[in-house]
Amino acid sequence: MSRKPLDYSLNLDIETSKRKTSLDLWIVLSVLCLSVFGIFMIYSASQSLEMALRQGIYLVLGFSLLLLISFSNFRKMELFYLYSYWPGLFFLTLVLIIPSEGNETKRWIDFGLFTFQPSELMRFLIPVSAAAFLSRKPMISNFDYLTVFILTMIATYLVLLQPDLGTSIIVILSGILPILLGGLSWTFISFGVFTVLLSLPVLWFSLFEYQKQRIITLFNPEADIYGAGWNIAQSKIAIGSGGIFGKGYLNGSQSQLNFIPESHSDFIFSVISEEFGLVGVTSLFIVYGLLIYRLLLISTNHQNRFAKILSATLSMILLAYISINICMVIGLLPVVGMPLPFVSQGGTALIINLVTIGIILSLRRET
Amino acid sequence: MKGKQFLSGQSILKRIFLFLIPFGILLIFAFLQILNLMIFQSEKFKTQADTNRVLKEKVFPPRGLIYDTKGRIIVDNFIRQDLVITPNFINDYSKYLSLLSEITGEDENILENVFYEKLSEIKPFQSFTLLRGLNDEQLAKLKLNSSNLAGTEIIPSFSRNVVYGESSGSLIGYLGFASRKDILNNPNLKNFNDQQIGLLGIEKEFDEHLRGTIGYRFSEKDAKGRVLDVLAIEPSIKGKNLKLSIDIELQNKLYKEFEGRKGALIAIEPDTGLIRAMISSPSYDPDHFNNLNVEKIKTLLSNKNSPLFNRAISGQYPPASTLKPFIGLVALEEKVISWRDKILDEGEFFVEGDERPYRGWKEGGHGEVDMEKAIAESSDVYFYNIAFDLTVSSISPFLDKFGFGKSSQLFKNESEGILPDQKWKLGQKGEFWFKGDTINMGIGQGYILATPLQIALAYSALINGGKLISPRIVESIDGEEEKFSSKQIDIKNKKNLDYIQEALISVVESDTGTAKNIFNPKLRIAGKTGTAQVKSLIDDKKYQEIRENISLRDHALFVGYGPVEDPSLVVVVIVENGESGSLVAAPIVKKAIDFYQK
Repeated sequence: MSRKPLDYSLNLDIETSKRKTSLDLWIVLSVLCLSVFGIFMIYSASQSLEMALRQGIYLVLGFSLLLLISFSNFRKMELFYLYSYWPGLFFLTLVLIIPSEGNETKRWIDFGLFTFQPSELMRFLIPVSAAAFLSRKPMISNFDYLTVFILTMIATYLVLLQPDLGTSIIVILSGILPILLGGLSWTFISFGVFTVLLSLPVLWFSLFEYQKQRIITLFNPEADIYGAGWNIAQSKIAIGSGGIFGKGYLNGSQSQLNFIPESHSDFIFSVISEEFGLVGVTSLFIVYGLLIYRLLLISTNHQNRFAKILSATLSMILLAYISINICMVIGLLPVVGMPLPFVSQGGTALIINLVTIGIILSLRRET
Repeated sequence: MKGKQFLSGQSILKRIFLFLIPFGILLIFAFLQILNLMIFQSEKFKTQADTNRVLKEKVFPPRGLIYDTKGRIIVDNFIRQDLVITPNFINDYSKYLSLLSEITGEDENILENVFYEKLSEIKPFQSFTLLRGLNDEQLAKLKLNSSNLAGTEIIPSFSRNVVYGESSGSLIGYLGFASRKDILNNPNLKNFNDQQIGLLGIEKEFDEHLRGTIGYRFSEKDAKGRVLDVLAIEPSIKGKNLKLSIDIELQNKLYKEFEGRKGALIAIEPDTGLIRAMISSPSYDPDHFNNLNVEKIKTLLSNKNSPLFNRAISGQYPPASTLKPFIGLVALEEKVISWRDKILDEGEFFVEGDERPYRGWKEGGHGEVDMEKAIAESSDVYFYNIAFDLTVSSISPFLDKFGFGKSSQLFKNESEGILPDQKWKLGQKGEFWFKGDTINMGIGQGYILATPLQIALAYSALINGGKLISPRIVESIDGEEEKFSSKQIDIKNKKNLDYIQEALISVVESDTGTAKNIFNPKLRIAGKTGTAQVKSLIDDKKYQEIRENISLRDHALFVGYGPVEDPSLVVVVIVENGESGSLVAAPIVKKAIDFYQK
């Protein structure tokens, strides 16, 4: 009997526990809660029933995928996972060649009925294939880590070409996290951190003018209130004026007056804050907290290396999205394109997030 | 050995917790900031959100102007005052509307209809234009009553003015509001949803340039929507000005010639492709659309003579005898016949095995004709003969090189005409190609159709040494010259082009030429007449009977160029149901060339 790659990844120093097949209801419920809430918020922010309905259709589609994948056996998918990077790379190249028309950036591929954002797919495929790659044999050499790193950088570069700074940050994270969790030695990690610090000035000069402007705005929001600072200033007014209980659903004057840019996608947190206040925001934090906690629990309880790395990476990427998006709309981080998971409008992002949850749930089988 | 490079499960766990720390710190800071904004600074922000609303509003740019080749203005803007309202600041809609109707004197029902229709389209707190182009009296009364009219603003906007109205109307085109479908197809239009954009003609074709870039105005408004202060302006960028190749004086003069007639004219420089006049008759005054004159628009849309249709680029006609020079040229190129070879024309042409005669237009025929005489007198039998010998498989590819059957890419709504061949007929009609089809094509009848623009380009190629030029209607955009391109058609023997030109001169200058009526020794013109049959003559039906129905009368065509020594202009004239190319169409061509030479 031949041994399949992922068999090596069993850490035999932990006792094998019983197989679980039931779904983690906490996870499923919190995800469902967030997505449905998101649809209502999208309607409030955009006043477009069409947009809300569209998101609803994506939710049904994504949730079916979630259930389907969560009952699949990840052991049987290992080959597929290992090579999943390549189709991702294909779409990422394709979008630069045939981007959907009428946009300034080359982020979407137009399939007629719907558009599709390859970078969102990539930030999900990289952890999957990296985790599989770094668990495929008993000895992982530094060369393997380097391979993952280089392939990640290629993908990041392609995303930067679109240009999409926000997602490219996530793409880097999605490749780096498996390397770090996989066991790269601290010597290399410190070396990497040191290099990044040194290259910061170079990075600054390679940014686009509007991106630099956003960073300057962050440190000096009053400098250009009617230009780059407008969005953040308006977003802060929206959040602050929400107070403890908020102004009520569909009653946020900031959002309804179109003061908030991209209120249905990246800035949806401002709309939530304005209409539901501190109470709403705290509830949102609690649901997100519960979700992340339950996801990480799967990772910590697992003794399979692949499953451990993958579920930890995917959960942490979700966490990264949440924390960066929120910090951005409250003016703690510069504005980059980054949606709030499950809540922001965006079909590809929603489906990928739901599939992510599905994969993590499928890993529970062997905890 | 096993798993040396592997971290144990415990170590992975440690790392997971380690890397969670930065996110944790971020979230703690985020929550502190949220508490700060929502509790400690809440009052400040509530005031900011409620009392003084700083609004970011669009400022529309003036549309680019359009000039003629000599810098005379053809399309202008003037400023008008519009009434813009924000329904959220109005307490009682029906009270407001009746007050407004009282002040402005506008019909209350119409106001109501417009109001509720627009209301259903906008988002809360958005504003829209309720009345356009207020007059002085209305403005004065509105100012007096401004304290009673919350949510109302008078905002200047630009109104389009096509200076010469009808004469250039079908060329210039009109403005209107972008439809949902337009916006879906072109997201750049999203910001222009309450603004007119080009929907037809030059206004549409060059809309992207004429439109300009939207600016923004940040103004402070009170709770009733009244502007307290303008804080900052991000200026709009004016649309680009177009300089057309049209000579507006020539255009106006020639348009008069079409009074009461349906037809089209194209005047083009054969060497540069610059179009000096483009007429489609009947035409219309685009300002009816630009100023939303509903009654006039209704009449225009229901007019059976379709004035909105630009016949010069979209009208498809049988080229009739104006195609003969090209058939002659292929015959010379293919050596089917030589320049001086004669054919006996007795008025009829027979194909073996077919009793039906192909008749020439002149009963009894033209006698013995060579190519020069055949073109000058427009002998049909001569061309039946050579077309029969050539066959469609050498005629169609040749005509294709001269631009027949394809768009010249000047306008997107240009027609392509029809250049038939065996494959076309099988595909479109489901029938095989008959010899008779080729014979009809020899005199420009049958399936072949061409637009006036295509005929003008083909003739330009005949006289400029065989270059198929790309036509141009815009000389420059904001001073930046438009590119010119042309494609050399491979002609086996350049001498053949000279022969054809000689024949075209004979059309006007020989005693028996069909257009000898326009001969002028001081300004020599050459050209070719054409009479396009609208309905094919059936033997037993009398010609006179057909004539009685005006819409079945033949179209009159003339293509001319001059001066013969160094042609500066090619002019195509089609007068629908005008019957005589030489008497109706040719004099207009002559006037065009005479005027242009001055």
